[in-house]
Amino acid sequence: MQAELLLRASNLSYSAGKRVILDDISFELRRGQITTIIGPNGAGKSTLTNIVNGLISNFDGEIERAPGLRIGYLPQKVYVNTLMPLSVSRLLCLTHDSSDQEIEHALAQTGVSYLRQRQVRSLSEGELKRVLLARTTLGQPDLIVLDEPTAGVDISGEIRMYELIGELRTQLQCAVLLVSHDLHLVMSKTDQVLCLNQHLCCSGIPESVSRHPEYLALFGQQAADSIAIYAHHHDHEHDVSGDHAGHRHD
Amino acid sequence: MTEWLDDFLVRSVIAGLIMVTIAAPMGCLMVWQRLAFLSDTLGHAAVMGVGLGLLLEVNPLFGVLAVALLIVFSLNRVTRFNTALSETTLAIISHTGLAGGIILVSLLPAQSVNLEAILFGDLLATTTADLTRLLVTTVLLLLVLRHYWRSFVAISVSREIAQAEGIEVRKIQLLMYIMIALLVAVMMKVMGVLLIAAMLVIPTTSARLFSHSPEQMVLISGFYGLGALAGGITTSFQLDWQTGPAIVVSATILLLLTLGITRIFKSHLH
Repeated sequence: MQAELLLRASNLSYSAGKRVILDDISFELRRGQITTIIGPNGAGKSTLTNIVNGLISNFDGEIERAPGLRIGYLPQKVYVNTLMPLSVSRLLCLTHDSSDQEIEHALAQTGVSYLRQRQVRSLSEGELKRVLLARTTLGQPDLIVLDEPTAGVDISGEIRMYELIGELRTQLQCAVLLVSHDLHLVMSKTDQVLCLNQHLCCSGIPESVSRHPEYLALFGQQAADSIAIYAHHHDHEHDVSGDHAGHRHD
Repeated sequence: MTEWLDDFLVRSVIAGLIMVTIAAPMGCLMVWQRLAFLSDTLGHAAVMGVGLGLLLEVNPLFGVLAVALLIVFSLNRVTRFNTALSETTLAIISHTGLAGGIILVSLLPAQSVNLEAILFGDLLATTTADLTRLLVTTVLLLLVLRHYWRSFVAISVSREIAQAEGIEVRKIQLLMYIMIALLVAVMMKVMGVLLIAAMLVIPTTSARLFSHSPEQMVLISGFYGLGALAGGITTSFQLDWQTGPAIVVSATILLLLTLGITRIFKSHLH
């Protein structure tokens, strides 16, 4: 039985002026699954996540969201407003109420409980990322959208963050949509990979994507090998078959 | 029953108090969202509104409100979701509005307009009708602020996060613009069109120096606003200074004092 369908994107296209940014992208997000978007710079990764989370509305194609879908969002760049006094715990209740315990628990998960009373404007980039990751877990999200969550985080923090994302998916029973550059770190936890370069080059489970000619053309053999290594650590069942959905060759 | 309102000083103090009450939360939100320059633009363009109002023989306040609303609706159409208002656009609107307004006003018979009162405010000439308008608008704005406070704070922190997590950012933004237009229209009487932004920005900046939460900053700005008002009315009454400029100068003196005191405290701690 397939997990609950949370979001279906059908034939998404988006252009800025004459420049095509996304061309005919289709995929599904299901509860309990981690979907990773990979692709070179300018491939349209952030644009795609912005369509998913409702920031961009003037696209072609269709997005169907499960009714009442709650999203937790960690943007790639957060502009910290130095003019605004805001504590970390207050930032965590920005769009919904959370109890003190929930806040404490969320911060503990990303290892930043000690920042709780600090002002947001005094945080380093890495600290802010961890705080923002903690906040996406509050408010019972159905879908967590993480755009480059580890940018600015040190390497040990990075590994811990990906482990955590894997745990969160189980704990919160939510779907995760992840944009990442760190191919080898991401892959072991990923259920579905969308390899993007304006169009969907290939998609499916990591192993099948890593053998796909377009993936190899984009990232090279080394990247494929690193996925192969991590693939051995897979310890969970795949809910989707590893088919090459949205196969397109021009 | 309302005889006590007959005293012009009582009326001015009440008008000032009402203005401070609404300037604190609105000023904070505008500073957080970097919209202070918009209030300046609307203020300058308000001169055009005054001119139009007088020309069409309606209350100048309606002229001001019409011009301000026209500007904010146009800005709302042309701005994209996550780009800030263009300073160039605002500067063009601002100065064209002021220049056009002054020409318009100069076409009118001299005795019908007091240009100085428009530009720098005339708190001591507050009428009972002015008071009523100020009060009604302020209560309305406060109710909207209370109802949408979380959304306003959320879009001040991050429009992206707010939108993704279910807040209708564009609607909230338009609402904010309309509120600023209303605010400018009512504050004009007290502060004068050129000095509205000062009253929204200076007390807020003082408050920011030692606030730990958004609400605390609003509250402390209110107290700084009160201080500036007291200083302004006193000097205006005793030394015959114009009220608007007197209030602004008082607000700045308070800011400088605060800066000095926090410096001293910090150096003592180290």
